[in-house]
Amino acid sequence: MLRFIVQRLLILPILLVLFSIIVFWLVQAPPGDFLTSYVANLASGGSSIQEEQVEALRHQFGLDQPMYIRYLYWMRGLLKGDLGYSLEYQRPNSELIGERLVLTVLLALFAFAITWIVAVPAGIYSATHQNSLLDYAFALLNYIGVATPNFMLALILMWIAFAYLGINITGLFSPAYEQAPWSLGRLIDLLKHIWVPGIVLGIAGTARLMRVMRANLLDELNKPYVVTARAKGMSEWALVLKYPVRLAINPLVSTIGWMLPQLFSGSLIVATVMNLPNIGPLLLRALTQRDMYLSGSILLIYCFLTIIGTLVSDILLALVDPRIRMEGV
Amino acid sequence: MIRKWPALLSIVVIVSFVLSACAQATPTAAPAATQPPAAPAATQPPAAPAATQPPAATQPPAAPASKYKEAPMLTELVKAGKLPPVDQRLPDNPAVVQADEVGQYGGIWRRGTLGPSDFNGVARIIDDALAIFSPDGGSVVMKYAESVTPSTDFKSWTVKLRKGSKWSNGDPFTTDDIMFWYKDALQNKDLVPSPPGWMKNNDGSLAEVKQVDDVTVQWNYKDPHTTFLFELANAEYGDKNIPCFLPSKFLKQFHASYAKQEDLDKLVADAKLKTWAELFRLKISPYDTPERPGMAAWVAAPGSRISDQIFKLVRNPYFVGVDKAGNQLPYMDGVDLKFFADVNSLNLAAIAGELDEQERQVQLVNYPVLKETSQKNGKYNIYLWQSLGGADADVIFNQTYAKDPDLGKLMANKDFRIAMSYAINRKQIQDSAFLGTGEPRQPVPKKGHPYYPGDDYAYKYIDYNPDLANQMLDKIGIDKKDSEGFRLFPSGKRVAIELSVVAVFGSYPDIAQLIAKDFQKVGIQLIVQIRERALHFSLRESNDLQAEMWNQDTAGFPFTGSTKYDVRSGIYGNITYGPLWYNWVKTGGKEGVEPPDYMKQIMQLVDHAKSVGPDDQAKDAQQIMKIWVDNMVEIGTVGLTATDQGVVVVNAKMHNVPQHLTKDWPLRTPGNGRPESWFFVP
Repeated sequence: MLRFIVQRLLILPILLVLFSIIVFWLVQAPPGDFLTSYVANLASGGSSIQEEQVEALRHQFGLDQPMYIRYLYWMRGLLKGDLGYSLEYQRPNSELIGERLVLTVLLALFAFAITWIVAVPAGIYSATHQNSLLDYAFALLNYIGVATPNFMLALILMWIAFAYLGINITGLFSPAYEQAPWSLGRLIDLLKHIWVPGIVLGIAGTARLMRVMRANLLDELNKPYVVTARAKGMSEWALVLKYPVRLAINPLVSTIGWMLPQLFSGSLIVATVMNLPNIGPLLLRALTQRDMYLSGSILLIYCFLTIIGTLVSDILLALVDPRIRMEGV
Repeated sequence: MIRKWPALLSIVVIVSFVLSACAQATPTAAPAATQPPAAPAATQPPAAPAATQPPAATQPPAAPASKYKEAPMLTELVKAGKLPPVDQRLPDNPAVVQADEVGQYGGIWRRGTLGPSDFNGVARIIDDALAIFSPDGGSVVMKYAESVTPSTDFKSWTVKLRKGSKWSNGDPFTTDDIMFWYKDALQNKDLVPSPPGWMKNNDGSLAEVKQVDDVTVQWNYKDPHTTFLFELANAEYGDKNIPCFLPSKFLKQFHASYAKQEDLDKLVADAKLKTWAELFRLKISPYDTPERPGMAAWVAAPGSRISDQIFKLVRNPYFVGVDKAGNQLPYMDGVDLKFFADVNSLNLAAIAGELDEQERQVQLVNYPVLKETSQKNGKYNIYLWQSLGGADADVIFNQTYAKDPDLGKLMANKDFRIAMSYAINRKQIQDSAFLGTGEPRQPVPKKGHPYYPGDDYAYKYIDYNPDLANQMLDKIGIDKKDSEGFRLFPSGKRVAIELSVVAVFGSYPDIAQLIAKDFQKVGIQLIVQIRERALHFSLRESNDLQAEMWNQDTAGFPFTGSTKYDVRSGIYGNITYGPLWYNWVKTGGKEGVEPPDYMKQIMQLVDHAKSVGPDDQAKDAQQIMKIWVDNMVEIGTVGLTATDQGVVVVNAKMHNVPQHLTKDWPLRTPGNGRPESWFFVP
């Protein structure tokens, strides 16, 4: 086990270097650079900028250097823990990411809590009461949940809230608390607003998780050991929860690791549509504005968290499932 | 939940999101009945010298201290001894801001922005200049300057500041602040690689700025320079250009010529920057440096920056403007600029009545729902503001396209362009894309404007006449057609033109499709390419655009700024009619392609206009417009619509917001509507 972890950790830097190259290349792959986007932005507003000035800015931002130089420059900063400077915001990237981090993680945790609290019990119920009325009802909800893109759901909810209740449900705070420092009042205000985005973000996951839970459990429920246990007179609930559920939950545990990047990502599109002040819109803007050090840094953090997350999953899996442990991976 | 490659996936998702956003048709709407009548603006002469008499100059100078009143929040500060009394804060001769009503103090103006890249939205509301445009855009009125007077030969311009005016931190505002810009910013190669056009003599040398005394400064040109006032009105932080007056006392600590090297190095390092010039540029910015003193009605609140979730502006206790009753402006205590990640959520907030005054980023497509909601709940009113003319959704052929000589030659043929103008069914575009608003027209100023070249030109070649178009096309040697009915070059290749469209102007992609159908009827294949704007711009830069759809928004300003009528405006601010002509001009004939005679004539007219008075300027402008239309450089479709920042949402409780205001970027709309005089009624 320990060997496995050490092995994985040793591969980590190599993977990161590889990913950093891919990420850095990808964010710059589209034609043009930050200044083309900057100039285009000005022009569509009717104004413009002198070419000499653009060239001076290009030089100042180092955009006139070849890509590998820019990469090395970025890398040098990263090794010192410096995520670079945002071209658009004119502020250090670490500051920009940092100030959105708390809300991003809070919102994601909230959505995950909803997902697990709803999905696991509902999945167990569906499996144990296969083809019951409630099972069908869950199934219907599942299909809708999986099939509806969550930004669409966000738009629909926003429209309903506005058309029938006359309120605008975007954002995470009421205006009074938008910029206030953290306080009990602000936390309560956040709890009032976090529901809609939380549900929107959680619903697709809930539906999917529920289906997985149901299917896994159904596989287990028909196995001979369950029949044997039942024949020995074990109470149904104790039986189900003690054995098949533990097995059925394995695939879910293996996905916990994916939570890490998810926690950080701030669900790009939903957050943008709903104007949530988290990392999602920051990344989307950085990509469209070609703010390459900012988008590159955020994407690299994703990669890092994905690798770590996978490792955590594997460890967790080994912990909950003795069979995997025995195989001595 | 289960995402295998979150990073990659997110990129795919982003791309698809961007694409779907691009594909989202934005049909535009605005019932004709509500269209405001042409602003009286246009009847006034547009130009300079007449305007130099400031309205304020006619007012008697401030005498007793009790004459001026101030906001209650400032009175408290004065009482607490934290601020000098109002008569000591105002200059001897404050600027009297004209407005309908005398207002009352208080309230916060809630407004939306799209964040740091939307910085010009802030420039527009604070309109931070020595002199600014009038509401109708026809003249220039004094703001921080008391007067601007030309010499009789227009070579020398004397700018007088208001004696006793101060920066928002109480530092005196004097001509030192202009000289600091002239000597230490404009002429510092690290800061300004090349001075802007308006600061150059005709021979390319730098114009002289001379300090006469504390409040008087003189701009001296070698040649007559009659567009000075227009240029002065735009010599502020718009487009992040260095303004022509800077808080010198504050900025000297960040300037290499004044600060100690080691102090400066430390400041640069602390800010995680590389050079002092970067630091200096950052410290100039009122959007990124809250402690930078300002002259505008509102300045950044302590610690507030444009990249914040809400960029907070607060009243400047030293603002030089008063209303006609002597109340120091602004009326509103501050402005909250809320950062919306997405333009649609900004629009939703506007519809929900959460923004008190907003025209920027409001989409014409939302006009019907805004109108409906405003009638239902009465929370806000909807105004429509008009531009000075021009046209929307124009088709521009690249006359110097080089990748395909056949095509380049065809597009450089005037008859071809005229034929294509006849081939467009403008009525259909007006009805479907602009819901009947505006009018089919060529890209010239609007009727009544002194630069208007007459109906003969504004409506030239705009009839829908496919038969005539077909005849003209037959005559220019592309009369053979292939099996699908498309015309062929003599070489046997099909005549197919790619039209590049950027989805930032409402319904342009839909209009492009309509035009493609119209062109098909006369045998010309138009391939519509909807592009991301950065890509469009890099293609424009490399002369790879065959044709583009853009707007003409410089009709009121054919001589100054980045006018689209002058090929010398460069590729960034211009449209793509002749990128290689520009190269030719720029390199003095060494590279590129020599522009045709009519284009040279336009350049001569522009130069001439800069040296003559307003009447002759108008004549030159009309001549430019005539040449422009005669040669069909830019095929206009529909103009005078409210497409760009023309749909205005105004809180029903907010007064003094002009119902008819001429909107344009050089006018810094809504700045020319004097937001400092807007106020809330309880």
